[in-house]
Amino acid sequence: MYNAHRRSLFLFAFLAAPVTLYLVYVISPYVQAFYIAMTDWRGVSATPGFVGLDNFVRLFADGIFWKAVTHNLALLVLLPLLTIVIALFFAFLLNVGNGRGVGGVAGSKFYRVVFFFPHVLAVAVVAVLFQQVFRPDGSGMLNGPLMALGARPVGFLSDPDVAFWSVLGVMLWQAVGFYVVLFSAGLASIPRDMFEAAQIDGAGRVSLFVRVTLPLLWDTVQVAWVYLGILALDVFAIVWVMTDQHGGPDFSTTVMAAEIYRNAFHYFRFGYASALGVVMFFFTIGFTILSLRLSRRERIEY
Amino acid sequence: MPHTPRITRRDLLRAAALAPVAGALAACATPAAKPTASSAAPAATSAANPFGVAADKPLEVWIFDGGFGQDYAKNIHQPLFKAKYPGVEIKHNSTKEITKVLQPRFAGGNPPDVIDNSGANAMDFGALAQDGQLQDLTPLLDAPSWDDPATKIRDIIDPAVVELGTYDGKFSVLGYVNYIFGIWYSQKVFRDNGWEVPKTWDEFLTLNDTIKKSGKMASFTYAGKHPQYLYEPLLTMAAKIGGNEVLVNLDNLEDGAWTAEPMKAAAAAWAEIGAKYLMEGTAGLDHVQTQTAQNKYKVAMLPSGSWLENEQKSTTPDDFEYGMFPLPDVTGSDKLPYGTLHTTPGENFIVPSKGANPQAGMEYLRAMLSKKAAGDFSELVKTVSVVKGAGEGRQLSPGAASASKAVTDAGANTVTYRWQTWYAQLKDEAMAATGQLMSGGLTPDKYLERLQKKADEIKNDSSIKKFKR
Amino acid sequence: MTTTTSWTVANSRRLARRERRRRLGPMAALSHVALLLWTVLTVVPILWTFLASVKSEDEIFGDAWSLPATLQWDNFARAWEQAHIGQYMLNSVVVVGFGTFGTMLLGSMAAYVLARYEFRGNRAVYLLFVSGLAFPVYLALTPLFFVVQNMGNVPLVGPFIGLNTHAGLVLVYIAYSMPFTVFFLAAFFRTLPQAVAEAALVDGASHTRVFFQIMLPMARPGMVSITIFNVLGQWNQYQLPLVLLQERDKWVLTQGIADISTAAGYDQDWAALFAALTLAILPMLVVYTVFQRQIQSGLTAGALK
Repeated sequence: MYNAHRRSLFLFAFLAAPVTLYLVYVISPYVQAFYIAMTDWRGVSATPGFVGLDNFVRLFADGIFWKAVTHNLALLVLLPLLTIVIALFFAFLLNVGNGRGVGGVAGSKFYRVVFFFPHVLAVAVVAVLFQQVFRPDGSGMLNGPLMALGARPVGFLSDPDVAFWSVLGVMLWQAVGFYVVLFSAGLASIPRDMFEAAQIDGAGRVSLFVRVTLPLLWDTVQVAWVYLGILALDVFAIVWVMTDQHGGPDFSTTVMAAEIYRNAFHYFRFGYASALGVVMFFFTIGFTILSLRLSRRERIEY
Repeated sequence: MPHTPRITRRDLLRAAALAPVAGALAACATPAAKPTASSAAPAATSAANPFGVAADKPLEVWIFDGGFGQDYAKNIHQPLFKAKYPGVEIKHNSTKEITKVLQPRFAGGNPPDVIDNSGANAMDFGALAQDGQLQDLTPLLDAPSWDDPATKIRDIIDPAVVELGTYDGKFSVLGYVNYIFGIWYSQKVFRDNGWEVPKTWDEFLTLNDTIKKSGKMASFTYAGKHPQYLYEPLLTMAAKIGGNEVLVNLDNLEDGAWTAEPMKAAAAAWAEIGAKYLMEGTAGLDHVQTQTAQNKYKVAMLPSGSWLENEQKSTTPDDFEYGMFPLPDVTGSDKLPYGTLHTTPGENFIVPSKGANPQAGMEYLRAMLSKKAAGDFSELVKTVSVVKGAGEGRQLSPGAASASKAVTDAGANTVTYRWQTWYAQLKDEAMAATGQLMSGGLTPDKYLERLQKKADEIKNDSSIKKFKR
Repeated sequence: MTTTTSWTVANSRRLARRERRRRLGPMAALSHVALLLWTVLTVVPILWTFLASVKSEDEIFGDAWSLPATLQWDNFARAWEQAHIGQYMLNSVVVVGFGTFGTMLLGSMAAYVLARYEFRGNRAVYLLFVSGLAFPVYLALTPLFFVVQNMGNVPLVGPFIGLNTHAGLVLVYIAYSMPFTVFFLAAFFRTLPQAVAEAALVDGASHTRVFFQIMLPMARPGMVSITIFNVLGQWNQYQLPLVLLQERDKWVLTQGIADISTAAGYDQDWAALFAALTLAILPMLVVYTVFQRQIQSGLTAGALK
């Protein structure tokens, strides 16, 4: 009896603080956001007016928001695809790519350290860095050499046809290293014999990759896909800090999170911004559920 | 967090069902901002202390740390105030991002007492007015001036300040500087090369050709990252062709205001500049980068305002000699004569109505409008203030002198527009579209149609407060 | 007999290897080219920034790849003093230090209880935490601002945990780090053997003592991983401080850097911007390079759990 009491007291003592903090700072804001989405609140008045679903009706006609959605969707497809392809390629070279087939190429440890560099830098720092790299004149890291070669400078951030790709490029730059290391960890857990055996069968590098590496890494690839998908849906700081006019030029790089922030903290339409947030919420949840459903649960046993 | 890990499908679905329930039980902090006890009874008023400033209540001041810096507030305005109210502690702050820093303070019901709400990231006056956040400054207009108890503040400032500072029938925004817009150049460069200030648009085009062919520098640029620097001369040109009502119609969101004939002529004219004469890389450069290029004699002309000379003081060569010319005649039958200028009071100071000490806030503005404060200010930051005659007998720099002369020449022919401060969304759209117009992504017609569409959208959006002038 | 077979197998393997080496020769060269290319892509922007940080204003506006005539170390002094990088870095260290400590303490307590004790509502509490993993933070920003603001009105502690306070931000960091921390550590605690803890309980040790003196030390590898994950995540956070800390002297490093790029436009001090970037990047790379093994395994283990 005394023990049971002691046990409950202990459980309560251990859970009280984390659960309280979590409810106050995480859960309650999310719940309130759904209510604010149905008001015309501009962030300052004490009594937001209830407007029902007006904000949601309005957002259907909001061309800029849908432009943002298409950018998120394009990123959702391209970012995971390109990152995973590049990262798998490098992980393969670093781990099973040497002449003997079962170890990494020379210097693989060095490459792994260097590739990971961008991942430890804050996104805001990376955004400012690339703002300079992409300068549109001869003082830009990329345009300087281009112009020295006699080419016209590229408006990496100022040409609406190019800016989106610059954003994608920077995201790739930052993401690839992490996934090289992630896939390397996955590869390390694959028994060496499997490669040896395949090689005895005369498998070349390509078929080694397709027939052995990829199936065994499939689980890790799925994990990567989910992370990268959420990264693509959540992107904010790169766009907000790096691009001209916060998502420009001409809204060519804007994303959902940027439109939420713009409507909330530039136009002070907190109600409308929350409605955009609700839409984004369903995109994210939808993506997560969908990808979990699509991912096959079976593993290759070895 | 850089990454969100995978969870199982079952966990997720169950959690999704559960979360709202738990949330309902959670501590509910309503969005309602708690009204702060700000309107403490003012101290007794008198002619010397017209707003009843309490002798010991602190005063929090936020200055936009932009082209004019913040020294003028610290070294000119605040000592003047402090001399009269030694017991008031002045908390001086500055930022380049007013909105980011201060908007949440408004949302939280504890805004500071005086704000210089300026710069590219200033707060939306429309939203502030709509929410009753701005102190009615009419008492300031009717208060005696700092220097002479017999003269009202109203009579010593430029009347445009009152017109432009009035929101919802209440004067609530005090523009402190008279911004004068035009095309800026180096008088030395023009003199050395024998280039002359163009009086007509044809002359302007010829001049652009001449400069381009000279191979010495590019002829024209603008802050491509901030295309509001270009729609300014475009709109001023439209007003010059069609009269001030062109701009009034834009402000009032009239049907077809953007697609009016003068607008078409102006858009076509600037699109030609965009296609033929822009410095390479213009679209990706910001105001400082283009202005610095001009200081380094890489480009001859750019549109800007009378803050320019001060903003560039650290990179301008000593013999650069800034000069400014007004927009040339376009059609020969322009409604407004040569010399017409776009002027507008800027460095907009507000006193938040829900701040802790609005009385001292208003008194601070009154001190700023004294002859000494305004005169010292003009000299320090090389510009023209809204206080009449404050620059008299002061030593003006070449650019400020050029701008002052232009104002005198323009006389009553000054124009202005306000839609960009009233409708932030329209401003964003105009910036985006103007960038496209100049880089050839939009034809002049498509450009104007697009802006008309946005203006109509705003007009029909009942959730956006409308203004009239 | 057996020796012959193994000799045959070994021999055939050797032949296969030789054959493959012949076939893959040019490929190996190509793979080095690819790897070097990505190395260049990764390193050059960073090195270019370091280079620009010792250039003068004129040189920065000139040719991108020119070398500085004299090294302008002064840029760093300006970045540190006038752009307050030193202050922001200190703020980041304080916030992340307390934030990660609090996250690990509370997170491990909750995870331990949820993983090892049966009680009514266990599953519900666990799912409540884990559900946070799927929410986009942008939806919560506005209400969160008001929650924190209202915290400022709480008697006694209010002034310490409201807006513009580091303690307030620390609490928010802890709360938003909970989902992943609990999720990961609960999984980790489940893998630990029961026997030691049970023996200690039978000997009369309290539950609390068992946790701190037995289970926590056993969970060390997991704790290290997730600590690294949280330090990096909180250090790089931009969105939450952007909304919750508006006073300049309270800012964290990411805010400071993002602001300098705006500020450079007004102050025309691009040299200081590059110096500030360098100051933000270099310590991270040094720390990472020293602890790269732990950091890589920590982060990837966290991801694959």
